[in-house]
Amino acid sequence: MNLLIECKKIKRTGLFPTFFIGGILAGLFPLLDMTFRAERYRKSSQPPIEILFSADWQMMAMLNTLLIIICACFLYYGEYADHAIQKMCSLPIRESRLFLEKFMLMSFLCLFVFVIEGAAFTYCALRWFGGRMDFFPLLTGVFKNFGYCFFLMLPAGLLSLLTASACGNLWTPLGIGVICLCLATMIPVNNPWLSLFPYALPFQMLAGTRAETVIFFVTAGAVECVVILLAELLFLRVRRAFA
Amino acid sequence: MNFLSLIGIECRKIRRSKILLLLAAAVIIYWIPSILNARLNFTMQAEGISPEHNFMIQGFLGMSWFIFPASMMVSIVLMHQTERAERGMLKMMALPVNMAKLCLAKFILLLMLAVLQLLLMVGMYYVSAAIVTRTQNYAFCLPAGLIFREAGLLFVSSVPMLAVFWLLSVCISTPIFSIGAGLASVVPSVIAINTKIWYVYPMCYPFYVITAEYGKLAENLSEPDLRYPLWIPIAIGVAVVSLLISCLMFGQAERR
Repeated sequence: MNLLIECKKIKRTGLFPTFFIGGILAGLFPLLDMTFRAERYRKSSQPPIEILFSADWQMMAMLNTLLIIICACFLYYGEYADHAIQKMCSLPIRESRLFLEKFMLMSFLCLFVFVIEGAAFTYCALRWFGGRMDFFPLLTGVFKNFGYCFFLMLPAGLLSLLTASACGNLWTPLGIGVICLCLATMIPVNNPWLSLFPYALPFQMLAGTRAETVIFFVTAGAVECVVILLAELLFLRVRRAFA
Repeated sequence: MNFLSLIGIECRKIRRSKILLLLAAAVIIYWIPSILNARLNFTMQAEGISPEHNFMIQGFLGMSWFIFPASMMVSIVLMHQTERAERGMLKMMALPVNMAKLCLAKFILLLMLAVLQLLLMVGMYYVSAAIVTRTQNYAFCLPAGLIFREAGLLFVSSVPMLAVFWLLSVCISTPIFSIGAGLASVVPSVIAINTKIWYVYPMCYPFYVITAEYGKLAENLSEPDLRYPLWIPIAIGVAVVSLLISCLMFGQAERR
């Protein structure tokens, strides 16, 4: 029920169209890349999904992370503008619940983007590497890969929401997010410990990664989500106590 | 109202915004990985570039690709949001202030923030070069003339990009679209500089210019061609037209 209210709140902010356009832009990366450089990739004997991911995922992950940073900023900015958050606080609603609902909404929006990107990958794999893989194994492969990426996106989303909920304006969380993203782009993808930085996790990919690394990152992602959630709960308590 | 005092007022508006803190944090955090990975500078024999030049140019490359355009976008958000909060824009329009002048004053403020960030960048370069000189026992500091030349090139080549960002933020009144468009347009500049028609994409100018500088410093790399005859007229045209349109459109959303 409350999730519906959250959806209504963002109706006129343009978040839905932004995610739609963002998803299409990100989906265009592999399409354009394959259109212009297909010959180069065809020579490789790797599975199609791995080729596509290693060629384009860095760029797409960056766009995705930018999208969730912007999304987090606007989800909370809507509350802070004209002091709506104080009105929300006077209702019988917990602030932590508000946070969780915003997070769920953001995850749905993210899922939407990933579906568009997954469709683009499936199309590319069928169009340019058609003979190598059947349709259903390909589809399950795309599904698994994007599921993994989606899960590793969550800590970054939570952290962006945490910074957005802590700052009352639009530019501070945006600036912090952009700086963190910049830092994440400088972290080498094959360094497992540095890649645990929440904003660096979305750059990881499943294809071509060893099973133990995958388990390591999934566990780390889950732990980070819990830690950030606890930090938000603690932050809300402390802010309430000193308000 | 006199143009200089307008700029002074604009400066006062962002006094308590902590934007300087953000710009400085961006630059400081940005140099830390370079300091930690300083050893990699000695492995660039294939490119034929000396370690100290490599350290400097890699810093400027990353800066011109993402963090500089992105922090300028954040500054633009700040400038628009301070005006939109509490209907500041309507109050400005009620005063005897020329809207085009106000728009230009804000753009000048943006350029000032850009200069400030580049100065911070230069300062931080010297700090990190000094640290790396100590840790690696190799003189990493380069003469100030060269560093200021790179920073100056980066600034001049980014003016058309900033004008386009400004145009986007003035014309698109829904903030999320203008921010999204600005930030998203930064990402593909890596692809744009590798195409033949890079000069039609203003967002890649700073990155292209710094890449060209890299080519000049590294003996074994082919130098990207900066002498495309139409580039400078196109760049000036883009900047002037964007500024003209944004001056005309400034405050239109509030006037309705």
